[in-house]
Amino acid sequence: MQLLFQTLVNGLLVGGLYVTISIGFSLAFGVLDVVDFAVGEWVMLGAFAGVSARAWFDIDPFAALPVVFVVFATAGWLLAPLIYRVRTSRYARPALMALAFTFGIATLARGTMLTTVGFDPRTVHTGFATGTLSVVGLDVPWLRLAGFIFAIVATGLFIGFLYLTRTGLAVRATAQNKENAGLMGVNVKRISALVYSAYVGLTGMAGVLIGAIYAVTAQVGPQYALLAFFVVVLAGLGSVLGVLVAGLFLGVLQAIVTVYIGASYTLAIVFGVLFLTLLVSPRGILRRGIAV
Amino acid sequence: MRGSITLPRVLAFVVVAVVVFTLPAWVGDYWTRILTGVWMWAGLALAWNIIGGYAGYVSFGHAAFFGLGAYTTALLMQPERHWNFFLTLPVAAAVAAVVAAIVGWPTLKLRGAYFAIATWALAAAVAELVNVADFTGGSFGLTLPVQPSTSYFFYVMLIAAIVAYVVAYVLLERSRFGYKVKAVRDNEAAAESVGINTTLVKNEAFVLSAVIPAVFGGINAYWITFINPPSVLSTEITDQMVVMALIGGLGHPWGPALGAAVLYIVNRQFLAAFGDTTSYIAMVGALVALVVVFLPDGLASLWPATRRLRLVRQLIPVGRDERPRGA
Repeated sequence: MQLLFQTLVNGLLVGGLYVTISIGFSLAFGVLDVVDFAVGEWVMLGAFAGVSARAWFDIDPFAALPVVFVVFATAGWLLAPLIYRVRTSRYARPALMALAFTFGIATLARGTMLTTVGFDPRTVHTGFATGTLSVVGLDVPWLRLAGFIFAIVATGLFIGFLYLTRTGLAVRATAQNKENAGLMGVNVKRISALVYSAYVGLTGMAGVLIGAIYAVTAQVGPQYALLAFFVVVLAGLGSVLGVLVAGLFLGVLQAIVTVYIGASYTLAIVFGVLFLTLLVSPRGILRRGIAV
Repeated sequence: MRGSITLPRVLAFVVVAVVVFTLPAWVGDYWTRILTGVWMWAGLALAWNIIGGYAGYVSFGHAAFFGLGAYTTALLMQPERHWNFFLTLPVAAAVAAVVAAIVGWPTLKLRGAYFAIATWALAAAVAELVNVADFTGGSFGLTLPVQPSTSYFFYVMLIAAIVAYVVAYVLLERSRFGYKVKAVRDNEAAAESVGINTTLVKNEAFVLSAVIPAVFGGINAYWITFINPPSVLSTEITDQMVVMALIGGLGHPWGPALGAAVLYIVNRQFLAAFGDTTSYIAMVGALVALVVVFLPDGLASLWPATRRLRLVRQLIPVGRDERPRGA
């Protein structure tokens, strides 16, 4: 029983970070109508930003989180118009061309990082959260708890922005229907860039925390992209609430598979669940996403 | 005049055919091997083009079919089973067809994004399962009997590539099926309203597009004589197929083969000059992004006769809003 509870706690803590990655990703999909294959690379680049903060400037990576956000958000802001341009071009299937574009960006990022830092795993070293917290017989590493708390705060702020501000209203309107939002005076292009840059910034920050908890290599991107895809498909593409449930579910599922079946079966089981979800309920577990 | 049989055309065709088929005698071992690779990648890019270019659904999991084919052939040719090489290829194709049907059936009803994700996850899952399973040799891989002749694979790959091209050309450019596939790509709702079973058509296209890489995977396994998950199931294989088709020209009958030839030869020269370097991955990524933005119809669109088609496509606003309301 002890092991089960410990596994569940570990899973929930990691699931929080998956929520952080996936929530921006889901929204970027809703607004830009593009599945961003680079999502895992933003995590990877974020982790390496954390590593370099320590190595180059001797700043604690956690203290550098705001800087990471700004840098990544800027990158997203610069990239978004290109994605938007491809997405709204008049070629057949612009959505899939945009998909291919982000795929190209992801491959470029992975190749560049493999060339510059190689295949060696790196860890983000931080002095903020060390040691372990013991509650009712369960061991919770402070680092993971910090990651979870960060995830809750970041996700909370993001949802607050979406539901409490005028810009957030414009974002949600754009996600629902671009043409109508445009007719109501929403600058769809600007909103798209804003959402994409916020998402990239958020994911980059999550990357720093993931890099502190697990070691990362330059080729780790696709693995996190797969997890983000999984969360978003399970949630139903475009559903924010579903992401909260699905992200935590994925964390727990992964922890249980790793402990009770074996880490090398994780992807296969994740794929199995994904496949069944698409088969049974294409709109996600909460049936709030977009079908067809 | 297009397609009509005239004496100069027949002569040109015969000359080209003779030159191509006698190439191993002319160019030496190194270029024979490179050309064998060109045929293989041309076939793979053409196969990917069926689902990606003609049906308009991006598959990021074609390496799974290539790998399944490779493993099927390798397993059947193990000493204890000792199948004939050519008999293993239909089995490889059948395995890929079944897997493609299982994956395509739920996901091709949905929007392209789901399909892209599902195929991608499939490739990851297959690679992982092969890595842990016993009968596939796990990460140690499998060894096949050695076929010593260099030109043997040149001809096998060449014939496979020609068959792949002819099958794809006949089915997609010269048959009702081709019209259906293109109709589904260009406007799914309209295609459905004229009585096309769109899900079925997309599934047929996907199965066809999965069967060809499985055959090439089988041939490739025999060619390289040793396979393991990184060599036949890596995402780089899918990446290359996608990139070659994109660079050559999506939905173009021979564009992807051109893209494959160009990129594969560049790749080999790159390796010869710089060694096994990861900067190639970066280059491929940059190429994809650049082609999507600046040359969406690929290298084939630089060919004079296709210009008109491109202009027509630009003028028709297709697929502006594929998204259902009320999300």
